[in-house]
Amino acid sequence: MKPVDIKELMITSLSEDSNSEDIMKKLEDAGVEYSFGENFRDKVLLRIFSATVTVNREVEFVKSMNSIFYRIALTGVAAIVILLISIFLTQGSLSFNSVLGLSNSYDESIVCLLTGN
Amino acid sequence: MIKESYKNFDEYELVKSSLEGDKNAFGEIVIRYQRMVARTVKGMLGDSVFSEDVGQEVFIKLYYSLSDFRGEAKLSTYIQRIAVNLTLNEIKRRKRFLSIFSQKGNADMHEFEVADQDYEGRRDAREIVDKALMKLEPKFRVILTMRMLQGYSTKETAEILDLPLGTVLSRLSRAQEQLREILDKLT
Repeated sequence: MKPVDIKELMITSLSEDSNSEDIMKKLEDAGVEYSFGENFRDKVLLRIFSATVTVNREVEFVKSMNSIFYRIALTGVAAIVILLISIFLTQGSLSFNSVLGLSNSYDESIVCLLTGN
Repeated sequence: MIKESYKNFDEYELVKSSLEGDKNAFGEIVIRYQRMVARTVKGMLGDSVFSEDVGQEVFIKLYYSLSDFRGEAKLSTYIQRIAVNLTLNEIKRRKRFLSIFSQKGNADMHEFEVADQDYEGRRDAREIVDKALMKLEPKFRVILTMRMLQGYSTKETAEILDLPLGTVLSRLSRAQEQLREILDKLT
């Protein structure tokens, strides 16, 4: 097909009443064809399903991190409770000074402890 | 063996099987519609490795939106809409990129793409079509692609582009004027 004919077909394809299907076929016969490279299907499937695997792995990672943080938090709470009980048993109260271990100390003895005199 | 069995499936059966996790059923959809998508994507973006990436994106997006496909329109129409939208997004993205990095400022994408090609060389049908398409404004390029490369009627074009018929008709006429000017310069 000559370049002039190709151009005429292109212009005609934009006319409202033109037979665009017929024009498409004529252009295809003239070599106006488009396609993707080899193994296009496999590439698409690989991208879809490898992405799914990655997402699943990420979800599993987040889930396992959640359970680890949950266990750490429970252990921490248990440790705090045991500490408070032991303070109460040894100091007899749960006041601020008891928690800091200062309930039985006088101001002078604190100065002695800090300065060493 | 597996591929043979899917050849008798209609598009709704393929969609249903794909939704049930059948990888090969979706593979059959890709095989059936890849040339149609190639015509849209490569027609509008030109023949480059980026076009193939966009083509892959079209099917990836289709896979994740298959559950939204209700069968009211043909599957080809649904895929075509995705292809057109992703291609137009890619054109916008490239224009933004060029407007930032090109010294020409708002240089058109097609100038960038065809600059290194020897137009005085072989002028086969495909080359003429590609050159003209790349020179057209994107909104006209998509119309020409739908009509000339996909063979859609005006009504089908309006349906795929989600535009009123009147808008498509006016764009057809303006695209024709612009195309005439472009083709005159190409001779």
